[in-house]
Amino acid sequence: MNTNTPAVDYGTWKMLAWTGPVFFIGFFIMWGLLADNFPPMAASTSAQDMWQHYKDLQTEITIGMSVCMVLGSCYMTFGAAVSRVMRRIEGQEGMLANVEMMGATITYCPIVVACGIWLTCAIQIDTLSPDMAQFCYRLGWMIIDLAYMVTSWQIIAAAIVFLRDKREKKLVPAWVSWWGFVTVASFFPVSLIPFFETGPFAFNGMFNFWIAFPTWYVWIVSMSIFIIKAVGRIEIEDGAAQPKETAVRGGSAVASH
Amino acid sequence: MVAVRGGSTTPRRLPGVEGVWVFVAADMSFFALLFVSFMLGRQDAVEVYEASRQTLDVNFGGINTLILLTSSWLVVLAVEAVKRNELKNVPHLIAGAFLLGAAFKVSKALEYGGKIKAGITMLSNDFYMYYFTLTGIHLLHVFGGNILLIVLWNKARARQFTKDNCVVLECGATYWHMVDLLWIVLFPLLYLLR
Amino acid sequence: MNTAMTRHITTMVWLFLMAATIATTWWLSKDGFSPIVGTVAIFAIAAFKVRLVLLHFMELKHAPLPWRLIFEAWVLLATAAIVGIYLSTTPVAVA
Repeated sequence: MNTNTPAVDYGTWKMLAWTGPVFFIGFFIMWGLLADNFPPMAASTSAQDMWQHYKDLQTEITIGMSVCMVLGSCYMTFGAAVSRVMRRIEGQEGMLANVEMMGATITYCPIVVACGIWLTCAIQIDTLSPDMAQFCYRLGWMIIDLAYMVTSWQIIAAAIVFLRDKREKKLVPAWVSWWGFVTVASFFPVSLIPFFETGPFAFNGMFNFWIAFPTWYVWIVSMSIFIIKAVGRIEIEDGAAQPKETAVRGGSAVASH
Repeated sequence: MVAVRGGSTTPRRLPGVEGVWVFVAADMSFFALLFVSFMLGRQDAVEVYEASRQTLDVNFGGINTLILLTSSWLVVLAVEAVKRNELKNVPHLIAGAFLLGAAFKVSKALEYGGKIKAGITMLSNDFYMYYFTLTGIHLLHVFGGNILLIVLWNKARARQFTKDNCVVLECGATYWHMVDLLWIVLFPLLYLLR
Repeated sequence: MNTAMTRHITTMVWLFLMAATIATTWWLSKDGFSPIVGTVAIFAIAAFKVRLVLLHFMELKHAPLPWRLIFEAWVLLATAAIVGIYLSTTPVAVA
């Protein structure tokens, strides 16, 4: 290995890649199940019923949202791991790796703000009017949903770079990149959520919740899996580790490096 | 795999790359779900949907279908010409497809304009919500397709497509045909179903 | 298949698609047909048109069978769902 270049810290890289699963599993449990956002309360719910929802689930929402505010940051660290894999493909001068990392990092912002609003609504519910509870609930959704474009840039940047991968077996398979384009396409109708309280384009609607979110989720899960694998493959490409089969046969390959 | 019937020995292949087909299949599924959603909404308010439908101008819808079909056809001719290595007319065919795409947008602008002038928006009722959002999402696809056609036109003028190198052209063509195909269903769904 | 024939088929398909569109838009949609007959016929034609675009324009006719079947299934399911829900909807009372 070239001694002039600083050694790559594969351990840290792998750890960052594993924050992807931490994000998507943690979020599904804490945000989706515990805080009862899966499925979400309908946009058309009356102010009184929204207030009651927060009253009934005060503890669950408090715990779920405060954990999510912490866990959400894992989207940033996951994004950093993706960005480094991208850099291997597009080279040091590549810009898209930066766009991906910025996109992942800024995606955390609407998440933390929205969860913070829902958290405060839960802890303060006894002193809030129903109108305020409704305001908080909708405010969180508007922020988290309409920030989709920043995440779109992240996904587009990753898709373009991984499609340009010249390896015979790409680090991230082409279908994941194309699924990224599907995800971005499914995001655009989210711009309609301010206008509808019912129907497919409400924030709890068939399209803007049940298509847009699972599509993104599938992208996060598949991207996480292939990034974890990619770091391992890059380690082997660099000669810093041996392919599993070689390792079994003997250590002679190491000597040649 | 080899086609047995008809004695053809051309190997079966998907035009372009598989990824485009993943995208197209997913996109078409989203639209299919929205078609079902529209039909279920209609079931709950037939009178409103029917009365609103009658305010739509089938001439716009019909002419737009003819425009997209012709645009698609020109793209097929372009792909076939490239495969015969007759490259001279390819840029013209793609330019024609682009101009028809632009004509679709002009027609849509006129149609939307008329509705908005009459005080009708996507908030007027559920029918108009579907009318504006479904045609609007489709229109975004047309915009995307037109940008794609400009890219293809430039590449065709630079003679970058040849018999053995036309994957990009095939990908673009596949997408553009999908835009056409979705309109073939959207048009009767919104304008003709009574 | 020779290329002149391919060209010929493509243009025939296009002409048919245009004719079918004109028939549905300016003829089948008119009041001369009962709504149910008109609508079902219109969607049968639309499905056939979509299938022509898939097979001839998008070249699924020569694609690996699983891919072709996925898209053929889309046509079938989308049409069946639309027509099915249409037929199970109480029509507007003609008054």
